[in-house]
Amino acid sequence: MDGAVRAAAIEVSGVRKAYGERPSMTVALDDVSLAVAAGSFVSLIGPSGCGKSTLLRLAAGLEAPDHGTVRVHDVAPREAAAAKLIGLVPQTPALLPWLSVLKNVTLPQTVNRGAGKRRARFGDLGNGGPPADPMDLLRRVGLGDVAHKLPAELSGGMAQRAAIVRALGLRPDVLLMDEPFSALDELTRESLQDQLLDLWGELKTTVLFVTHSIAEAVRMSDVVVVMGSPGRVVDSVPIGLPRPRDPGLLGDPRFHGYENQVRNSLRRAWSATDAA
Amino acid sequence: MPRSDLVSPRRPVAARVLRPAMWLPLVVMLVVLGAAWTWGAHRFPYLLPPLRAVGATLTGSPAYYLKNAGVTLEEAAGGLAIGFVAAFAVGVLISELPVARRAVLPVAVVLNVTPIVAIAPTLVVAFGFGPAPKIVITALICFFPVLINTATGLRSVSPQILQVYQSIAASRLEVLAYLRVPSALPFIFAALRIAFPLSVTGAVVAELTAAGSAAGLGTVISNASSMNQLAVVYAAILVLAVMGTLLLLLVTIIERRALRWHDSSAQS
Repeated sequence: MDGAVRAAAIEVSGVRKAYGERPSMTVALDDVSLAVAAGSFVSLIGPSGCGKSTLLRLAAGLEAPDHGTVRVHDVAPREAAAAKLIGLVPQTPALLPWLSVLKNVTLPQTVNRGAGKRRARFGDLGNGGPPADPMDLLRRVGLGDVAHKLPAELSGGMAQRAAIVRALGLRPDVLLMDEPFSALDELTRESLQDQLLDLWGELKTTVLFVTHSIAEAVRMSDVVVVMGSPGRVVDSVPIGLPRPRDPGLLGDPRFHGYENQVRNSLRRAWSATDAA
Repeated sequence: MPRSDLVSPRRPVAARVLRPAMWLPLVVMLVVLGAAWTWGAHRFPYLLPPLRAVGATLTGSPAYYLKNAGVTLEEAAGGLAIGFVAAFAVGVLISELPVARRAVLPVAVVLNVTPIVAIAPTLVVAFGFGPAPKIVITALICFFPVLINTATGLRSVSPQILQVYQSIAASRLEVLAYLRVPSALPFIFAALRIAFPLSVTGAVVAELTAAGSAAGLGTVISNASSMNQLAVVYAAILVLAVMGTLLLLLVTIIERRALRWHDSSAQS
């Protein structure tokens, strides 16, 4: 049984989620199905309000769907969270202002100590191993020198790197990222993309990545899932570019081909809602 | 780049205080107030005692004022400690349990708008003329600001921080200890800056109300004014003012140390 379900790390089927009461109800997700293969990097892209972030929160077990099921490694997301299989990187770094960078990154290891036993029951998910050494990870992303500083002393890019290290320090099996680079300038953004791809290549974590940026989605992903309003999956574009994807790839004609494919999908989704 | 220029220690306090621009306005203000007082004391001898007389009674019997200040301070500290602990506990309770919130908060608000002075006489009847009613009144006065700020502060954690910790299934107790209580500290200190001086007010009000009290600066004021000893009244008031100021200074120093990370403590 274990071997059969290992293919999909996140499985969403027939999920519907609405907010508010009947007259002014907002449908965030409408009959959404999606499978994220273990170890793959999948991006969700779509216009604002298409339910990308809602989908991420459902996968993190922060909310429950109205209909349908969400499974993470074939258990409910809350159970996966209890076993610390999930790492979450929100839109803002969300660091604790009273703790140093290093303590911010290590606190999640202190919390929920029973997770180790629960995690063992899942067996080897392909990225096993003890939690990574936080100091080592901080050095890897260039934060070694500021490990003992407070978050207020960091730039936006440094703070977001610390947030990524905080999530990766637990060696999560599933990394959920909600537009983590959207508040950063272009160059900082590209350097963080490099570092994330580098760490991902090593840690073999499954990533579900929400973004507005077509270039970012194409560069990072194995599959780009295009969503439209209200809350539907309209297309799924496999990205056949070779890895590692260094910055030189951004000028490659194949890269532009995939960008156009995703853009056209988005445009179709957008004009469909416009007409509705 | 790290914004170290914003966080690094400013110029030492001593160097700033020594600049005339810092101390001169206050000195001028004090001289003006002193002159106005002296003129007033000369013109209305039944309203204001001469400053020299106030100074004389203070230097003449410092032990008397210190002893009574000690009594008032003990009542204030006892009431503040009890009021703070109770308010913190109730604050945690109502921020964790919405049911408790709906039950407790309206009662607390009504308690807050009721003049505690009006309750004081009944408390004296209930608890006698010892320190007990003074401590209870002080605790009641300090309770509300601490309660409201604790409850607000505990809920001030950003939703994104909460989501990060919910996604690794942090327990409620862990969220409270690691996220909510530290986030509430700036709010709690803001409440203490009100509650520390307020505790002295509470103790004095209680002493003034309990007519037969044996000691305390409120009792000194009440006895001296009935005997028309204006200099003693104002000497006691001066001691109270100094006491309140020292308490405020104390809480400010503790706050600076505890909240180094917080924006408002980094500003002057």
